[in-house]
Amino acid sequence: MCGDGYAAVAERRAMEVKTIVDECLELWRDPYPHLARLREEGERPVGVFCSYTPEEILHAAGLTPVRLMGAVRSLTHADAHLQAYCCSLARTDLDMALAGDLDYLEGAVFVQTCDTMMRLSDIWRRNTAFPYHGDLVLPIRMGEEVSLPFLEEEVKRFRRGVEEFAGQRIWDDALEESVHVYNRNRRLAERLYKARASGAIDGLSAMACLLAGFWMRREKHNEMLHELLERIEGAGAAAGEERVPLLVSGSVCTTPDLFELILELGADVVDDDLCCGHRYFDAFVDESSSPEEALAKRMWERVNCPAKHQCIEDRFQRLVRQVMDSGAKGVVFYLQSFCEPHLFDLPYLRQRLQEELEVPSLVLESELQSFSRGQLRTRLQAFIETITGV
Amino acid sequence: MSEDVRERTQEEKADRERRKIKSAGAMRELMTKYYLEAKGAEGTDRHIAWITSGAPVEPLIAFDVIPVYPENHGAMCGAAHMNVELCEVAEGRGFSRDLCSYARGDIGSAITKGGPIGGLPRPTFLVACNNICNTVFKWYEELARFFEVPLFIFDTPFVRGDLPEHLAAYSVRQMHEYVSFLEEMTAKEYDEARFMDVAAKSLFASALWKEVLACNEHRPAPMTCFDAFILMAPIVTLRGTQEVVDFYQGVLEEMKRRIEEGVGILPSERYRLLWDNIPVWYEMRNLGKLFMELETCLVADTYTSAWTFEGVDAEKPLESMARIYTEVYLNIDLERMADKIESLATRFGVDGMIMHSNRSCKPYSLGQYDLAKEFTRRTGKPALIIEADHTDSRWYDRAQIETRIRDFVENLLLPQT
Repeated sequence: MCGDGYAAVAERRAMEVKTIVDECLELWRDPYPHLARLREEGERPVGVFCSYTPEEILHAAGLTPVRLMGAVRSLTHADAHLQAYCCSLARTDLDMALAGDLDYLEGAVFVQTCDTMMRLSDIWRRNTAFPYHGDLVLPIRMGEEVSLPFLEEEVKRFRRGVEEFAGQRIWDDALEESVHVYNRNRRLAERLYKARASGAIDGLSAMACLLAGFWMRREKHNEMLHELLERIEGAGAAAGEERVPLLVSGSVCTTPDLFELILELGADVVDDDLCCGHRYFDAFVDESSSPEEALAKRMWERVNCPAKHQCIEDRFQRLVRQVMDSGAKGVVFYLQSFCEPHLFDLPYLRQRLQEELEVPSLVLESELQSFSRGQLRTRLQAFIETITGV
Repeated sequence: MSEDVRERTQEEKADRERRKIKSAGAMRELMTKYYLEAKGAEGTDRHIAWITSGAPVEPLIAFDVIPVYPENHGAMCGAAHMNVELCEVAEGRGFSRDLCSYARGDIGSAITKGGPIGGLPRPTFLVACNNICNTVFKWYEELARFFEVPLFIFDTPFVRGDLPEHLAAYSVRQMHEYVSFLEEMTAKEYDEARFMDVAAKSLFASALWKEVLACNEHRPAPMTCFDAFILMAPIVTLRGTQEVVDFYQGVLEEMKRRIEEGVGILPSERYRLLWDNIPVWYEMRNLGKLFMELETCLVADTYTSAWTFEGVDAEKPLESMARIYTEVYLNIDLERMADKIESLATRFGVDGMIMHSNRSCKPYSLGQYDLAKEFTRRTGKPALIIEADHTDSRWYDRAQIETRIRDFVENLLLPQT
């Protein structure tokens, strides 16, 4: 093949990559119309809010877990049930459910992570008419022998609840198969992050491609990630200006705005500590032991949500490692307003990042019912300028 | 001043004196002695543990550890109108104003030693139990970093419906772990006989407290729940000691005497209301006056009864206590909470309910809108929700809240739809 041929192949590849990324970005901007279509196509979507949800069990029962991460919207129904001092994820998700905007769901799974989720479960159950309602109660003490048997029992109880709803047993081999599918997804996500680290894909595109999996059958996402990685891996860093490397820490990014703005402002996300990102796919489910026990074990040993406890230093130690490994020059904490678990950790994380690593940080709070991209931009710009010294 | 008027004021004074709860003095003495002892122990070889209000304190008493309660201290700072300045110290260190004001005030006080008693004595270790909220373990993680002392977390996952066996078993395992932790901290061995004695006293005091609260079923009520908020300090902090048993025996005698003599806490009791959530500590005096003026007695509440434990099995004290601590009021689902509220409403014969939507306490407050509706559905009585914060007065709008309470009470006689 001549030189022109290589160029043509490269161009075609770039176009194919762009098509995949664009589709994912579109999903990220507004996944809900797509979820309604899933239903029309015969899937049975179940809403999940939390990265601790054992999605494999739902998947094995023929249900399609889909992540609900709120929406930018003004509230019409939720204020009659939830006070203004809880996070906008809870408020906008409940609002959508009460407004009938999520009627295509079979129901939702409530994992007990924080006080808001614990009460949201009751409020949701009492005021909606979805056929399925799942609860999974987690311990806060993770990674300690004392809590593991409890967690295993909870996973079993959760499975029985799903079986009851599905009207049939979930066979172990079906569950093992689902575990395999999700583990493959985790391996592909790791590869995606490696590709990002090598500069083969930017932070915005990588995050979009990861998140897309929340809103489709996982096998399909695996295929998509595979197609993507085949085209970008080994391609090396795209030429271009040097970008300011940032790490984003927090819960979820409901919209792509933050990642988009970071790119626009001459920086890029080189790693994250988000529950829709790195924390979501951290650690594998051991395929050699019983699936329930293995699912419990993974939750128990994976990286913690700040609403869980391992030791008082675990989050900082992990963050330090991530900052060092990724070469991030700044950390953006992107949190939900009123999110106590995250807000409690902020002062010590920020202080020690500054004192021990000389890494500056910025705190941005997200309130979906009064979302302002302009404000986000101004604050990010000032922060990035302090790093570059402009 | 005419003879007539003077006589009337003297009569009023005598009447006020007659209505005053005398045990309040004994309580102040008891609490002063306790805080003096705790403060005096700082820097000696006695162990001091900071502990959350819903955590099992009996093992600490049995190990001769002095328990110290930041939440009780927070209430004290709030009532003394000193918590806002302490919160501001924490806010200056990066703690969000959206965090619990008990936690912010406590972190502020740990830094500055501020507050009405010059801060709490330094802990040798910490004990947090999340049966009241998940805020506490994050707050105590911060304390553990600040003081560089060990933290024991007694983890009580949320109970939906009946307490499942695997959850009870988890609590029991931790109770044993807690005891081992204390053995390690204090270098003493667990003494079961001592623990049984403490548990028995705790149970006895708790039973007395329950009887005290039940006295308010009587009309006119011998106290308001605002008095109960004050009188509950010993059951929260020192249950398991003989002094607390003696104290509540005194309180119970006084309440029974008041009932016999027909002495109500208010000069006139027209309406009886139920209170939900933690008190608005900095506003107790003003609210107390308002309710007295409205001839309305807050006869019961969902808060003070959280320390009335039942069902301790003398054969298995550790095990049964572990179960009890897991199923406290804030760790159960809305249906069970509604049952509890309904039962209080019936027992105490209330005309309505006031719910404090407390910015600082999500597990207590989220769900109140649904509970209010459920309360009205089940009892036919109205409910009012007021927005405030237990110790951060910057969130309190007195004029608006007082107007709403007045309107609510005036409308109490109207039929409910």
